[in-house]
Amino acid sequence: MSPRRTDTGGRIDRLKTIRFTFDGAPYTGHAGDTLASALLAKGVTLYGRSFKYHRPRGLLTAGVEEPNALVTVLKGEVREPNIPATMVEIHDGLVAISQNRFPSLAWDINAVNQLGGKVLSAGFYYKTFMGPVFGPLKGTRFWMFCEHFIRRAAGLGSAGSAKDPARYERMNAFCDVLVVGSGPAGLMAAKAAADQGARVMLADLEPRFGGSANWSDETIDGAPAADWARRIVAQLEGRDNVRLLPRTTVWGYYDNNTLAALERVSDHKEQPGKGEPRHRYWAIRAKSVVLATGAFERPLVFPGNDRPGVMLAHAAERYANEFGVLPGERIALFTNNDSAYRAAVALKKAGAAVVAIADVRPELSPEMRKLAAEAEAEIFAGHAVVATEGGKALSGLKLQRFDMTNGALIGDARSIHADCLLMSGGWSPTIHLASQAGAKAEWNAARQAFLPPKPTQQWIGAGAFTGSFSTTEAIAEGRAAGLAAAGGQSTPAVLPVVEAVPGDPDPAPVFEIRAKGKSFVDFQHDVTAEDVRLAHREGFVSVEHLKRYTTLGMATDQGKSSNVPGLAIMAEALGKPIPEVGTTRFRPPFAPVSIGSLAAERFGDLKPERLTPMHDWHLANGATMYSAGLWYRPMIYGHAGETVEQAYVREAKATRESAGIVDVSTLGKIAVQGPDAAAFLDRVYTNMFSTLAVGKARYGLMLREDGLAFDDGTTWRLGEQDFLMTTTTANAGKVMQHLEYFLDVIWPELKVHVTSVTDEWAGAAIGGPKARQILAACVTGTAVDNATLPFMGIVRGEIAGVPVMICRLSFSGEMAFEVYSGAGHGTHVWEALVEAGKPFGLVTYGLEALGTMRIEKGHVTGAEIDGRTTARDLHLDWMLSKKKPFIGSAMMDREGLIASDRLELVGLISLDNKPLNGGAHIVEEVDEANPHGSIGHITACCYSPALGKHIALALVKGGKARQGTRAHVSDPLRNRFGPIEIVSNHFFDPDGSRMHG
Amino acid sequence: MVERQSPLEPEFHVGSHGNFEHGVEILLTETRPGSIVQVAAWPGEEKKLISAIRTVAGLALPDGAGGGVSDGVKSVFGFAPGKFTVADEAEGLAAAFARVVTPAIGTVTDLSHGRTAIRIAGPKAEWVLAKFFAIDFALPAFPIGAGRSTTHHDIFVQIQRTGADQFDIYVFRSFARSFWKALCHASEEVGYEVQ
Repeated sequence: MSPRRTDTGGRIDRLKTIRFTFDGAPYTGHAGDTLASALLAKGVTLYGRSFKYHRPRGLLTAGVEEPNALVTVLKGEVREPNIPATMVEIHDGLVAISQNRFPSLAWDINAVNQLGGKVLSAGFYYKTFMGPVFGPLKGTRFWMFCEHFIRRAAGLGSAGSAKDPARYERMNAFCDVLVVGSGPAGLMAAKAAADQGARVMLADLEPRFGGSANWSDETIDGAPAADWARRIVAQLEGRDNVRLLPRTTVWGYYDNNTLAALERVSDHKEQPGKGEPRHRYWAIRAKSVVLATGAFERPLVFPGNDRPGVMLAHAAERYANEFGVLPGERIALFTNNDSAYRAAVALKKAGAAVVAIADVRPELSPEMRKLAAEAEAEIFAGHAVVATEGGKALSGLKLQRFDMTNGALIGDARSIHADCLLMSGGWSPTIHLASQAGAKAEWNAARQAFLPPKPTQQWIGAGAFTGSFSTTEAIAEGRAAGLAAAGGQSTPAVLPVVEAVPGDPDPAPVFEIRAKGKSFVDFQHDVTAEDVRLAHREGFVSVEHLKRYTTLGMATDQGKSSNVPGLAIMAEALGKPIPEVGTTRFRPPFAPVSIGSLAAERFGDLKPERLTPMHDWHLANGATMYSAGLWYRPMIYGHAGETVEQAYVREAKATRESAGIVDVSTLGKIAVQGPDAAAFLDRVYTNMFSTLAVGKARYGLMLREDGLAFDDGTTWRLGEQDFLMTTTTANAGKVMQHLEYFLDVIWPELKVHVTSVTDEWAGAAIGGPKARQILAACVTGTAVDNATLPFMGIVRGEIAGVPVMICRLSFSGEMAFEVYSGAGHGTHVWEALVEAGKPFGLVTYGLEALGTMRIEKGHVTGAEIDGRTTARDLHLDWMLSKKKPFIGSAMMDREGLIASDRLELVGLISLDNKPLNGGAHIVEEVDEANPHGSIGHITACCYSPALGKHIALALVKGGKARQGTRAHVSDPLRNRFGPIEIVSNHFFDPDGSRMHG
Repeated sequence: MVERQSPLEPEFHVGSHGNFEHGVEILLTETRPGSIVQVAAWPGEEKKLISAIRTVAGLALPDGAGGGVSDGVKSVFGFAPGKFTVADEAEGLAAAFARVVTPAIGTVTDLSHGRTAIRIAGPKAEWVLAKFFAIDFALPAFPIGAGRSTTHHDIFVQIQRTGADQFDIYVFRSFARSFWKALCHASEEVGYEVQ
C-alpha cells in the first residue's frame, strides 16, 4: 500500500490498478482516483510552481476550483495545458506534466523571483514599462526587450501547436427542468421534478453523482450518505424522463433560459470509443432551472498560507473519505468556523493524527469541543496561524494568540510540528450561474458571504447555493425546488432523515491574519494581501479596477477561492463594509471550455460542399474543380501536360470553332408563380416582363433600392402565371431574400409565391457553330431549327428518354442553348449530349473558358456588378424602362449616379502582349516609382484565343469617352507596368451575328 | 423511364458501420419518393388547399401549424403558413395537383428532383438529430406526422416525423451528399446501418 493510502474507505476500486506518469515518473493509482488523489496517495506534495514568484505549490482543493495544481496532459503530440489535477481522472497510459518551471518542478531556476518580492508587486508591468527606464530602452522598447524573458518566466502552461485529432460534438437539448449539481439538494430536486413527470436533465461536473454525499461521512435514512445518493441515482437512471450528465460542467447561463454545458465524454478513457467525441457541448433550453451548485470553501489569508501541505479542510476530508487518501500524518487545522471540526473527525477516523485545531474564535461551543475531543486534537481557541515552515512540503507552523475583534496578535508564537495544515475561512455559495443570469449578488452578514440574487430568469436555488449549508436543509430545499420547477404543488412529505455532526453555519468575520510574510489571496495569480492594500494606497476604489490592477480573480480559476477574501481586505483598507465595496459580476464560462467543443462538428469541416448533378462525371473525366462559394465547379478539363491557360484557351477556341458544353446547374433558379407573377417581375426587373410571351425568355436586370445594379439573368415564361427566374450563382440566395422581402413586407397583396428550384434542374449550356446540329442529333419530340427555337425561345422535348426544356440563349456569344432536365437525370442527359457531340468535335469546358468567352463578349458578372456600379456604368441603360417604375428607379438618377466621371465598363488590350492582372490599376501616366492617379481598375482578364491578345474588362473613369485612347496598367504589388489601349467591352462579334445565327 | 441518379451514390455504403458495442441503433436510408411537391395557398385559401390535398393524396391533415400525416406511401406536412410538402412513392403527383389546385387557391411546385429524402430511424434517431438541429425532437413536442423547417450547417431542411423513432429529412439535392456524410459521421458513435 502507498504511504498515504488508507487500507479501507473511499469510493475507489483498490482491486483495479491504473498506471500513469507524472513528469516522466511512473505512478500507479486506482480506478476512481483523480490525478491529484493518486499522487497524494504516493506522498507527492509538490504539484506546481506559482505564476509569478515560482513558489512551490501543493494541492489546495479537491475540485474544480483548484488554483495551484495545474498540469498539462499529453495525448500523443497534442498537449492540453492548465487542467486542475483535481479534475483529471486517471487512466492507463495517462501522461501528465507539471508547468511553469525550468528545468524541473523540484529545481526551478525562476524561483529566484521570490527574492524580487516588492518589485514584482501589483502593477509591476504598468510601472516598469511605461516611461523612461534604462538609457535608450524606454517604455515600449524596454517592454519589447523584456517581453521574451518575462513570458518565459511568468505564466501557466504552454499550448501546443499539433493538430488536434479529437472529435467534438454539439448537442441541442430541451427539458422542463435542468438541475445543476447533484449533491443532496440536486438529487432531491431531480427526483421531485421527475416524479411530477417533467423532462429532467441532471448535470454534475464530477464523474460521480452525489456531491458532498460522497465524502461527508453523514448518514441519510440510516445509510451512509453516499449509498443514499447511489440509490437515488439508480432510481433516476431507470426513468425515461431523466437524462443524467456526469462529467458535465454547466458553464454559461444565457437569455431565455439557454444554458451551455461541457461534457467531458472520453477524457477519462485511454482511447475513446469508435465515433465517440472527446467533448460534447450541450446547448440546453430549459423551461426551468434548479441551481444546486453548492459552495466553495474559502482559504484564510496568513503568511505562508500557500506552502505545499496547506490545504482546505473539506478537501482533506474529501481525499480521506472519497479517495481513501490522507493528506498528512500529523495534521493541524486553522479555522474561523465549525465546518473544519467535521474534517478533523473524518481525518482522525481515517487514521491521521490531528495535533491541533486553531480557531480564531475565543469561545467555542460544547459541540465543537466534543468533536475536537473525538479527533483527539488540542484546541487553541482565540489563536491564529502566523507562519508556516518547510520547503517543498510543510514541516510545521506557528500559532499566536489572536484577538478577532481588532486583529491583534498577542504574546509569543508557539511552534507546532505538522506535515499538513488544513484551513477553513468559511464558505462562498457557488453563485456564478445565477450571477451570469443577470442579477447582483447580495451580501449576507451572518454567512459572511455573497448569496444568490433574486431570480431574473426561471431558476430556483437549493442547498448550499442559497447559503443553507446543512444536508437536512439541502434535502428540503432541493425537493421544494424540484417540485416548483416542474410546476407541482408543494405537499407535506416525509423527508429523508439526516444524521450529521452539529455545526453553526456562520463563520467569524475573519479573513486575514496580518503578520510578517507573504499572505496569499489569489494563489493562481500570486496576488498577496499586500498587493490589495497597495492598490488601495495607489487610489484604486472600484472592485472592478482592483481586479484588473492586481489580477485578483483572473486566470483559469476566476477567483473561485480568492474573490471574497480579496474584497474583504479591500473593504477593510477602504474603511467600508463589504456590501458597499461590492463584488464583480461573474461571466461565462464558469470553468475553462475547449475551443474544439465550441467549433463542434465544424471543426476541420467549416462548410458543406454543394455539388451539381454532374459532379462525379466531371471528376471522372479529368476536371480540376474550383470552389465557387459552397459550389464546386469544373475549372478546366486539362489534358496531360497542359497548363491552366493552355487548357482554357483550347476549350474556348474549340467552342468557337465547333462546340462546347458547360455545366450551368449552379445558376440560381427561382420559380415565380401566381396570378401577379408578371406584375411582380415588372417591379423587380428594370425591364418589362409582363409582355413576355409564354415559351420565351428575356434577359433582365435588377437594381437595389438605392439604384445601384444588383443582379442579372434570364427569366423564362413557362406559363401565363409561371416564370422560371435565373440568377447569378453567387447571388441566388440574396435574390431569393430580396424577392421574399418585397413580397412579405412591401407588397403582401400580390399573389406570388417564390420557391428555390435551383436544385430541381440540371443545366447544360451547349454553344458553338455546331451546337444546333448536336441538339438536332439527340433531341426528340421537338425541332430545334430557327423557326421552332428562335433566339430566346423555349421548347420542350426529350433527350435519351428524359424530358428536357431547352432555351436558346447565349453567354459565350455563340449560337447556344441551355438544356434543363430534372437534376436526377442530369448526368444521363449530359452524357447523351457529349456522345451526340463527339462527331462534331464537342468539348467540355470549365469556368476559365466560360470566363474567357464572356470577357471576349463583354458580358458582366459579379466582378462588374460589384455593388458600386449602376446600369449606366455597365452600358445597360437600354434596359431601364421608362414606361413603369421598378425597384431602384426612384434613386437611380441621383446626381452622383449619373456623373460623367463615374467608373464605366471598358475593354482593355495589352499593348506589350503581356498578361494583365485582376485588380491592377489603370493610370494615364505611368510612374513606377510613385504610382498614383488611378483612373480605374481591371475587373477580369484573360488571354483571348479569338483575338490572340491579352485582354481585360475594366471600370475606368469616364470610360466610354476614353475608348480608342491609350493608358497604362500600374500594378506595383506584382511589379507589372505596361501600355494598354482602352476599347469597347464588346471585343468579339459585337453585332451578335454568331449568336443570332 | 430512366432511373433517377441519387446524389448520395458514391457515399452510400450499404451495411453496418460505426460502434456496435450496443448493437446498431440507427438505420439510414434514402427513401427516393417518386414525387416531392410543394403546394402553397394564398392567404384565406388554406382550407381549400387542405381539401385539395385530401382529394389528390387521400391524406387528411390535422389542425395546427406544422401538422402532418403519413400513410407509409404518401405523406404531407406543413412547413410554413399555408405551405405544405407532399411526397408520394409514385411519380406524377405534381401533375395531379395541378389539375386540382387552381390559380385561385394557390400554386404547385414540383421538387421531385430538387430535394433528397433521407430517412433516419432507430432508438438513437432523436440523439443523432439533436447533434444537428436546435429543435425539440421529443415525441410530445414533435408528434408523429408533424413537420419542421430548420437548418444545419448552412443547409436548409424539412423534417417529418414518420414514426416514434423515425424521421424523414428533405434536403436540397446539391447539399444532400454533404449532409449525408455528416449524418453518417454523427451516427458512428451509436452504430448505424445503411439500407
